[in-house]
Amino acid sequence: MKEISFRTDVLPLKDELFRLALRITLNRADAEDVVQETMLKVWNRRDRWAELESIEAFCLTICRNLALDKLKRADNQNTSLDDEGGGRYEPADRSYAANPEEQAVQRDRVEVVRQLISQLPEKQRTCMQLRDIEGKPYKEIASVLAITEQQVKINIFRARQTIKEKFQQLEQYEL
Amino acid sequence: MNYKYIEQLLDRYFLGETSLQEEQILKAFYAQGVDDMPKELHRYAPLFAAMSPCEQLGSDFDERMLQLVEGQETQQEAQTIELNKPVKARTISLTERLRPLFGAAAVVAILLTLGNAINASFKQDDTWVDADEYAKRGAVQVDTNEPAMAYENISDSLTIVKEGFRVSTPTDSLASGGIN
Repeated sequence: MKEISFRTDVLPLKDELFRLALRITLNRADAEDVVQETMLKVWNRRDRWAELESIEAFCLTICRNLALDKLKRADNQNTSLDDEGGGRYEPADRSYAANPEEQAVQRDRVEVVRQLISQLPEKQRTCMQLRDIEGKPYKEIASVLAITEQQVKINIFRARQTIKEKFQQLEQYEL
Repeated sequence: MNYKYIEQLLDRYFLGETSLQEEQILKAFYAQGVDDMPKELHRYAPLFAAMSPCEQLGSDFDERMLQLVEGQETQQEAQTIELNKPVKARTISLTERLRPLFGAAAVVAILLTLGNAINASFKQDDTWVDADEYAKRGAVQVDTNEPAMAYENISDSLTIVKEGFRVSTPTDSLASGGIN
């Protein structure tokens, strides 16, 4: 069994974990906290690293669970009135819209796509994040989310269909 | 460029039937940024552009994380050192060993003393009620079984009384004489 080191195997996963946490919590600061907690948790279980099939999947699973916890706690703290407004493309987090240049970039259609993804249900969002952005095989996604591969495929199919529909709607607005 | 193939891939992509390699081809195709691609294909360009992983954590994160982890490690090491330290046997004298019991012993002693005191006072109460016992302990020790001694006792007492009268009478008569 390959020796796993924190510095070379776990730490480089930070951006991947961060993107997953960001996709779930939709807040940069929260996502960063989640990544930090995830790494500490992983570190504290280092005596079990050797038993793991994939340290990456293990980290992703912990990260997702922590992010979901955070989301639940945030939901308890305040209920958003904007939840029903599906048609708007309000950025979920304005903290990185601080300078005008970034704001201009945000107005780009790429950002619209990101926000389209952000509006998907959490499971679809996570599946799409892992598949389309991180390029993970179905099997790994299934193990991270603790669901079957078939369910992963269904989630991804629904997510892509929704995105496609939204794209067509957008095009109609623009015409 | 064979747009037909890309179109096909795109259809299959939205149906969730593409493999990872095929998705990679789609991303690579859109990353090239072909200007003259048909509108059908062009409209999905932002979708695939959004798929490049770009959000990243700040560079200070690594350092912070390592510090946190190392901090935990030194803490744990300190704990294990503490645990592995050889334990020296201490000699404990008998008084030291029994010290916790001293309080209990004192309480028991106090209780016993109190109990005895209460018991004794109750017994005394009984003697006041018991007339025979009182008579036995009484100030005048009269042995009623010996008539001769009883007589002597009584006559002694009476002699004392007589003497008393004898002493008091002259002063009395003197006083009364003074008046008369």
